Amino acid sequence: MTLAFDLVLCAMIVGAAICAAVAGTIFAAAVFFIVYGIFVSLAWLRLDAFDVALAEAAMGAGLTGILLLRALGRMPASEDRPGPALAPALAGAGLALALGWAFLALPESAGLGPVVRNAAPGAGAENPVTAVLLAFRAWDTLLETIVLLAALLGVWALSRDEAWGLPPGLPQRVRPDGVLAGFGRILPPIGAVVGVYLVWAGTSRPGGAFQGGTVLAAVALLVSMAGLAQAPRVTSGALRLVLVAGPLVFLGMAFIGAVLSLWQPGAAFLALPEAHAKSLILGIELMLTLSIAVTLAALVAGPPEDRA
Amino acid sequence: MSGWFMFLATVLLLSLAGALWRVWSGPSQADRMMAAQLVGTGGVGVVLLLAAAGDWAMIDVAVVLALLAAFAAVAFVKAQTPQGAGDPEDDADG
Repeated sequence: MTLAFDLVLCAMIVGAAICAAVAGTIFAAAVFFIVYGIFVSLAWLRLDAFDVALAEAAMGAGLTGILLLRALGRMPASEDRPGPALAPALAGAGLALALGWAFLALPESAGLGPVVRNAAPGAGAENPVTAVLLAFRAWDTLLETIVLLAALLGVWALSRDEAWGLPPGLPQRVRPDGVLAGFGRILPPIGAVVGVYLVWAGTSRPGGAFQGGTVLAAVALLVSMAGLAQAPRVTSGALRLVLVAGPLVFLGMAFIGAVLSLWQPGAAFLALPEAHAKSLILGIELMLTLSIAVTLAALVAGPPEDRA
Repeated sequence: MSGWFMFLATVLLLSLAGALWRVWSGPSQADRMMAAQLVGTGGVGVVLLLAAAGDWAMIDVAVVLALLAAFAAVAFVKAQTPQGAGDPEDDADG
C-alpha cells in the first residue's frame, strides 16, 4: 500500500510541476506552485524528514505563495504570459536527470545519520537536525542568517529616495468592520502560538528557528495586510536592532568561545561549552527566530513606497 | 491497521487530482484559488492519516499547512485590489 501511495504522490508532484510550467496564465502558474509545495511537503514526510517537511510547508507552500500572490497583485491585469520556453525546460530536465544519475551512482552507505545521533546529546539538542544546524555546522547557519540580512538590504536599496524612511511596502487600507479585519484578529494569536511552539519544540522534536520564524513572519504580514498595525519605519532603530539581533548574538557566542580558548583547551570559535550547550542553543534559537521572522516579513513586504 | 490508513491516504490523495483539474481549468481566479485551498485541506487530511499510520510527530506539519493555507487566502483577497493595498469589501461599496 505504501508503494501505491508513493507512486500517486510522485505523479501528483510531477503533474503539478508540469502544469505550473505550461499553465496559460501567470496566476494559474502561481497557484500550481503553491499546490506543488504542499505535495512536496508530503513527500518529505514519506522520507521521514519532518524538519524539511515543516520548512517546505511554511516556506514553499506558505510564504512563497504569499509572495507570489502579492507580486501578482502588483502586476498589470493582462492575463497573457510568454509561451513555455523550451531552453529552460530542457535545462531543467537535464539537471534533474544528472542529479538522478549522481544519486544512483553514489556508493551504498549508512550516511551521517548514526554519527550525528551518537554525538547529538553532548551538543545540547536532542533533535539531530537542530544539533547539526546549531552545533556541528554552526558556521553555515551563521552565514545563512547573514545572507537573509543582505537580501533585505538589496530589497531596501530598490526604494526611491522620496519613499525612504517610510514603513516597508505600501500603506494598507482596510474597512475597519470588514471580513478582512475580523480575519486578521482571529488568525494571528493562533499563528503566534504555533510559531513559538515550533521554536520551543525544535531542540527535541522537528521544528526550529527557520520554521517558527517563517510562521511568525506570516503572522506579522497578516497583521499588516489586515491593517491592524502599522509596520515600523525602515529607519527605526528598534527595527534594525531586531534585524541584526540574531546574527549578532550568534557571532557574540562564537567570539566568547574564541576568547575562552586562550586559557581553556576545549574551547574554540563557535564551539559551545558542553555544560551550557542546551540553554545557549535555545537562546541563540530564540534570537534567530526573532530576526528571521522580521527579516522574512520585511522581505515579502518589499521596499518602502509612498503611493497607494 | 496502518495498511488501512495508508489505503485511505492514497484514496484521499487521488481525490486531489480533481482539485488539480479545477486549478488547471479555472475559469476564474477564485476557482483556482479555492481548488488550491482544497489541496491544502486534503493535504492536512493526508498528513493526519500518514501520522496515524506511522509517527504522530507528523501532525505539526498538518498544523502549519492548515495555518498557512488561511494566510494564502488573505494574500489572494488582497491581490484583488489595486496595487494589492486595499480591501475588496470597501472597493465593492465605493
